Amino acid sequence: MASQVSSDPRVHDKPDTVASLSVEGLSIEFSRRRVWTPVVHDVSMRVMPGEIVGVIGESGSGKTLSSLAALRLLPKQARVASGRVRLGDVDILTQSESQMRNLRGNRMALIPQDAMQALNPTMRVGLQVAEPISLHSGQRLKSVAGVAAKLLETVGIARPEQQARAFPHQFSGGMQQRAMIAMGLALAPGLLIADEPTTALDVTVQAQVLNLLRDIRDTRGTSIMFITHDLGVVAELCDWVYVMRHGRIVEQGSVRRIFMDPQEEYTKMLLAATPSIHGPRRKGGV
Amino acid sequence: MSEGFDFYRWRPVIFGAVIVGAILICAIFAPLIAPYSPYDLDYMVMLQGPSATHWLGTDEIGRDILSRIIYGARISMQVAFIAAGIGLIFGTVIGVTAAYFGGITDMILMRFMELLFSFPAILLAVVLMASLGTSVLNAMIAIGIVFIPGFSRLARAATEVVLREQYVESARAIGMSHARILFREITPNIVAPLLVEAAIAFSYAILLESALSFLGLGAQPPEPTWGNMLNTGRGFMAQSAIMSIAPGMAIFLTVIGFNLIGDGLRDALDPHMKD
Amino acid sequence: MSQDLIRIRAVSKEFGATGWFKKPVGVKAVDGVTLAVKRGQTLGIVGESGSGKSTLLRMALRLIKPSSGTVEIDGQDIWTLQGAELKAFRRKVQPIFQNPASSFNPRQSIGQILVAPLEVHGIGDRDSRRAKVAALLERVGLPKDAIDRHPHQLSGGQKQRIAIARAVILQPEAVLADEPTSALDVSVQAQVLDLFDDIRRDLGLTAIFVSHNLAVIRQVSDQIAVMRHGSVVEYGEADQVFGDPQHEYTKTLIAAVPDHRKLMRAL
Repeated sequence: MASQVSSDPRVHDKPDTVASLSVEGLSIEFSRRRVWTPVVHDVSMRVMPGEIVGVIGESGSGKTLSSLAALRLLPKQARVASGRVRLGDVDILTQSESQMRNLRGNRMALIPQDAMQALNPTMRVGLQVAEPISLHSGQRLKSVAGVAAKLLETVGIARPEQQARAFPHQFSGGMQQRAMIAMGLALAPGLLIADEPTTALDVTVQAQVLNLLRDIRDTRGTSIMFITHDLGVVAELCDWVYVMRHGRIVEQGSVRRIFMDPQEEYTKMLLAATPSIHGPRRKGGV
Repeated sequence: MSEGFDFYRWRPVIFGAVIVGAILICAIFAPLIAPYSPYDLDYMVMLQGPSATHWLGTDEIGRDILSRIIYGARISMQVAFIAAGIGLIFGTVIGVTAAYFGGITDMILMRFMELLFSFPAILLAVVLMASLGTSVLNAMIAIGIVFIPGFSRLARAATEVVLREQYVESARAIGMSHARILFREITPNIVAPLLVEAAIAFSYAILLESALSFLGLGAQPPEPTWGNMLNTGRGFMAQSAIMSIAPGMAIFLTVIGFNLIGDGLRDALDPHMKD
Repeated sequence: MSQDLIRIRAVSKEFGATGWFKKPVGVKAVDGVTLAVKRGQTLGIVGESGSGKSTLLRMALRLIKPSSGTVEIDGQDIWTLQGAELKAFRRKVQPIFQNPASSFNPRQSIGQILVAPLEVHGIGDRDSRRAKVAALLERVGLPKDAIDRHPHQLSGGQKQRIAIARAVILQPEAVLADEPTSALDVSVQAQVLDLFDDIRRDLGLTAIFVSHNLAVIRQVSDQIAVMRHGSVVEYGEADQVFGDPQHEYTKTLIAAVPDHRKLMRAL
């Protein structure tokens, strides 16, 4: 049901619903040689409940910084200069560090690009997947480890009981990313922030992971903010799109509108530059 | 900008070079700089603290400590340069060769290095001195040989990293000779860690030389070296601390000087830090 | 002169653990691959990670020795070449590698990097080499002063332009490229692909282009080989492979590509 509602682009503009994540006038500065230079300028975006929002941009567009600011996980050299970030009705930027720790995992989770790097190589996958539960409930890790198999099952890992006992290097790239998603889902947060989660994967595996994310949204109503440089992925997965460039949002709209009727030069250029396996070849050949 | 001299970039190197340069000048012009002869005894002024006549005081048989420090720089610096130089050059050649050619070459060279490594440094030096004969020059060579395994392992590890870079593969695909790949593509990219290691080897060489002197295998009394001054001073800690502190400070300053140069060069030569 | 410049015949590569203390385990990275590239044409090799596409390319560059099978250029087995003949091969066939960050020696200037192939092959003198480098920089669309810059001062796209320049400075017959644009942003990728295509046509180059990206492969290739687990599962003209894929795996691969034009067609 959630999916039916959310795939309707008008949801994004619904005034009477509280957004899962709302970013208003966010500016971020970066320190280079002790001089603070603005890198993200007055960015506003929203992720509505049950909606998959794509943030697309090339390197240096500020898409990752903006998402990290939502988790209050900016690197040391970066700071929020102005703006508001609200998770549901919670003002993220005024929370204490311990309140933030409670929100991360519980209310929102990050799915990183490089799962291999994000997983601890010396710890069994099951224990890592269950770790957020132990951290937030104060229970001992061993006592919650049983949940891990169930979580791995929900992300489509076969023989979850056995695989929970495996170490990360025994997993393929796709399985590692599934494990990261399972970890993100451990506390059933309402919002997932996925930063290029499929960029390191082969296309066939990527297709499976994208399906998994769509399933999670459809069955659980989880909102997803999906950061990527890949127009194709956005087209397949997202309901609403923000196009970023040089730290600004240049265009936003429903996926249908952005791809069928792009307004900005930059969006048009991106569309034209992306090679395709359909339609005429971009150049040469014929 | 790439042109123009960037003082900030080179500041640590300049600092280090000033210190090391001052010590080198002391070593070279010792007879002109030292206020007294380093060998002259004066039983009237034994174990004195710093004073206007003897700036750093006198030792247990009344020799001027400042003069002995200045003369001591000669042997200590020679030992440091020659020993670290031997270690750096031979170690690098062996390590780079082992990594580049790999296979059986690598195995033989590195097993031999491990053999050297497995001896305690002092013991190895003692064994080498026993076969080479006792002299300051042989002490330097012995210490240099002690350094070779360390440098070779470092050079080998650094080379292995560089070998994985695509520019080495490109160089082979273009048809470059082994020699050109080794000298133009690999060596310039492994000097940074080796320089830092060399700075540490410099200081370690000074200390090793003192240990050898102590065992009667290095420079012999009354020849002043910082190492044997430190050793002698140990016995008089209670009566005159300056006897240990002065050579200790000399070694400390030298080590700092070399480390500043080593670390500084690594950063200053790092192409990624330019801008 | 034969029509095929490059012939890969039944090439296999088995990687085994080497060393006295290691258990010998053979992994077939490439398994009996036979391909040919016609003069002036581009063969695209597409496959996912572990398909053996890069290993195959390196064998064709004479960087990795095949366990069995032969690679021929102009009818000559490249692994039997020696001395002057080997040098001639090194001049005839040039590589372009994937990673712009590690493609160049960070301690050399762009000028030094581009001049090296000419020096190695003893072509021209100092002035003529310098002139050649300057002309080529202009051809690949870089400013004149790039000659004195170092690789880290250039963007990823500029570095791949330099890589193309280095690959063609010896006026080779073939360029073998391994994922040359996969580290680039799409807008930059499009420019670099265009440049590659232009230069390839101008110089009449034969090319092998390896990529995991089907859309990129489609854009540059005349023929396409689809690799999986070390073997070629489908091989044919580009339009035919994409228009009417025969093998199940090729179909899966094509279906898995997220593509905005699919959406645009569906609507």
